[in-house]
Amino acid sequence: MRDLSSILPLVETAGPFNEVPEEYDPHDSLLSLATTKILVIGAGGLGCEILKNLALTGFKDIHVIDMDTIELSNLNRQFLFRPEDIGKSKAEVAARAIIARIGDDNLKITPYFGKIQDKPREYYRQFSVVISGLDSIEARRWINATLMALVDEETLVPLIDGGTEGLRGQSRVILPTISSCFECSLDLLSPKVTYPVCTIANTPRLPEHCIEWANQLQWPRHFPDRKFDADNPDDVDWMYQMAKTRADEFKIEGVTRSLTLGVVKNIIPAIASTNAVIAASCCNEAFKFVTNSNPLLNNYMMYSGDESIFTYTYPYAKKDNCPVCGNMPKWVKAERWWTLDQFIEELSTKQEVQMTRPSLTTSSRYLYLSNPEELEKLTRTNLSKKLSDLLAPGEEIVVTDPKLPISMKVLVEFVGSEVDPEFINK
Amino acid sequence: MVVIDKETRYDRQLRLWATAGQSRLEHSHICLLNATPTGSEILKNLILPGIGKFTIIDNRLVTQVDLSSNFFLKREDLGTPIASAIQHNLSELNQEAQGSSIIKSIEQIFAEPDTFWGQFSVVIVSDYIPHLKRLIDILWSREIPLLIVNSVGFYGSLNLIATEINVIETHDPSKLYDLRIDKPWPELQEFSDSFDLDKLDDTEHAHVPYIVIFIKALKQWKIKHNGQPPITYQEKTMFRNLIQSMSRNIQLETNFIEAYNSYHRAFQKTEIPDSIKSLLFTSQERKLTPTTSIFWVYVAALHKFVSHNNGQLPLPGKLPDMASDTNNYIKLQKIYHKKALQDQELFANEVYSILDTLRRPREEISRESIATFCKNVQLLYVTIGSKYLSNDKLVEELFRDGDSTSSLAVYFGVLTFNHFVDQYKRFPKIDDLPQFIHLFTKMFGQANPLPQSIANVFQEILSHNTRNYHNLCSLMGGIASQEVLKLTTSQYIPLDNLFIFDGVKSTSERFKIDPL
Ligand SMILES: [Zn+2]
Repeated sequence: MRDLSSILPLVETAGPFNEVPEEYDPHDSLLSLATTKILVIGAGGLGCEILKNLALTGFKDIHVIDMDTIELSNLNRQFLFRPEDIGKSKAEVAARAIIARIGDDNLKITPYFGKIQDKPREYYRQFSVVISGLDSIEARRWINATLMALVDEETLVPLIDGGTEGLRGQSRVILPTISSCFECSLDLLSPKVTYPVCTIANTPRLPEHCIEWANQLQWPRHFPDRKFDADNPDDVDWMYQMAKTRADEFKIEGVTRSLTLGVVKNIIPAIASTNAVIAASCCNEAFKFVTNSNPLLNNYMMYSGDESIFTYTYPYAKKDNCPVCGNMPKWVKAERWWTLDQFIEELSTKQEVQMTRPSLTTSSRYLYLSNPEELEKLTRTNLSKKLSDLLAPGEEIVVTDPKLPISMKVLVEFVGSEVDPEFINK
Repeated sequence: MVVIDKETRYDRQLRLWATAGQSRLEHSHICLLNATPTGSEILKNLILPGIGKFTIIDNRLVTQVDLSSNFFLKREDLGTPIASAIQHNLSELNQEAQGSSIIKSIEQIFAEPDTFWGQFSVVIVSDYIPHLKRLIDILWSREIPLLIVNSVGFYGSLNLIATEINVIETHDPSKLYDLRIDKPWPELQEFSDSFDLDKLDDTEHAHVPYIVIFIKALKQWKIKHNGQPPITYQEKTMFRNLIQSMSRNIQLETNFIEAYNSYHRAFQKTEIPDSIKSLLFTSQERKLTPTTSIFWVYVAALHKFVSHNNGQLPLPGKLPDMASDTNNYIKLQKIYHKKALQDQELFANEVYSILDTLRRPREEISRESIATFCKNVQLLYVTIGSKYLSNDKLVEELFRDGDSTSSLAVYFGVLTFNHFVDQYKRFPKIDDLPQFIHLFTKMFGQANPLPQSIANVFQEILSHNTRNYHNLCSLMGGIASQEVLKLTTSQYIPLDNLFIFDGVKSTSERFKIDPL
């Protein structure tokens, strides 16, 4: 039997930094560890580490959700998986591997092979803590907003969020409504590299330009009815050949299969070491939270390992115009000559907004609804109208995205000329 | 049996250190002393990306505490030799890594000739071992890097002990480009002159690469300013306006917009960075011998290259992307690349002439290696290490801030913890606090009474005196393994030389223990 001997010294005595020394009771701490329901989102690089850490620090009721299946390129860091597991559910294989190794009848790990969005909001109320180890921004925004919406007199589920990229990463503790939330810090995320369409179409210079030409312009032309599948070797091969031909034509060097995959899949480098650091930091916070043994991270720790080792811990400030935890509207600048379409384009590419298919409404009318289809058709005509003609002065716009449980209040500040300056030049 | 395609398996890490780094990793041999959870985690993080070999040295048998905190132990391992149990369980992670275990005490290992250590690329000590100083001396004299990683309760520390660390591929994120706009070589000047801006049609004009715009603008400026480039803030602003005035429409011509926004590149002086100057200076003091490391052979050759080439470094030849039509950009790329190859050739000759005088074979150094050096020549990194775990200066620093909250208290607490184990053969408990403080004072002297901030940290350590808190073990294991990866791939900049993690406050700090 595995016992708790490695962690008993941490809970048996309250240390000098304990924030509640009078009320501290080691029995309560041990009981909390044994009974706390904790949810792990993601069973990948961070998730494997998180599950192992929780199982070795006294947690007994662990749930894990992951929609992905195991791939060969996971095996350089996701240590619970073996080559023969390729194609199986990450959540299920990870849960089985931990159970088999720990061998404790009191340890329950409940896997769910699917999306977090499959579960109703109320499902999340049963957990005392949620740890997310995801690379999907959208999923992290979704769980952040969902836990925020659960807050009432009895419920406050902390979200401990970890993320890594190469030799860098961050861990943070989000106490919904109390500390800054994931949405507050969207602009901290490194923006996705994009290339202007005219460069891709007319003046490619880098191998990446040729790959994007194949990806953005050629694929939809050749396969209008089929989405590109980065996990299908034939699709990748087609893309690579297409990009290579383009590159050869322009005498551009450096298009390789690996680069092609990197660009079209937006691959982020990942190793076990960084995942171990960030996952352990997240689990240390979960352990401190559940046992009350020491204070919690307040509230953001960034980690960087490419030049020596460096961490920076600071309280990331709540934004009062955060669409999830704030109540003030956000000001967005718009040129006076912009159409609604141009405004939506600007809005969706903004680092702190990042919505793929936003719908916009005001208190008096629908400006544009991206779904359902019938309403989209009805509001589509507004897209070519000037934004300034559609809005009453000082009118607030509510922006929503069908994929996110978020609604953002936006106020427009009109700047610049009434007419497109490029138009004047011509 | 599933066939493993290594390129796909290692894809996510090859994007960090490429095949050159991977091959060095696969040829390294790591030694772990003490099969702790921290040690197992370190090895896990190295075996997964494909380290060549690992050896675990430990003569203990698996206990309940080990089982409680180590994922790489199974229940049936209880009571068996821990080194072989962990080696066996870790080996499942990757067939490529060859593991072995040595069930001996450190004293038994010391009884063997010191050449034993020569097989290892890096040695790791996890937590306490007796005779640590002796091990440090042996590895120091053999120039084998040593990592000492400690974990106690919510605290951790990591020392990197190495005589010297030098890195060519630092992956410096500052994105310096050596473009030589202020000193164009003939081919570059010729290319720039081939553009007659006034005669270009609007499309062509909007696609002139900004390097050409800068070279032209700078030439124009110098004619009016006695051959001087813009120096003062005011002059630089005027230069910026000059660029704007050269554009036909600064709202639309992306190349001019880029030039306008990155106008600082135009005054970037072609000169040797201070860090490289001091490297060149140091190299003069070093005597080259048949065993001098390749890095210092390169630096000596660089010194010669610089004096034979107007005080300029070899051109790395890398170009940032910039608005341009394809043709001109490719031409420009070729001009930079050709010059870089010429410089590599000249640099190689300097390297070979040094090797010849030292009677060392030229095959020692590959062309790829020379190219890599030239491409990274502005960002080379060297540091001299220390073989000490503490010195007067560090102790002074601990007490200097009085009651403030330096992490050094954590580190000295960890050192004292190990001294305590050395003396009493057991872990100190909270009841041992007076004795613990006494031992600390005996080892490191000064300050009576002990500042409250330090006393608090000591109290925290003794209250939570487990060395097997998995979260801290895993965190320190992650950090230590990352340092091993940097050392073995010879890429990125390693720790120099002390790192302390405080898991109570979730903060960390680093310090440099001086060589003397
Ligand atoms: Zn927020």
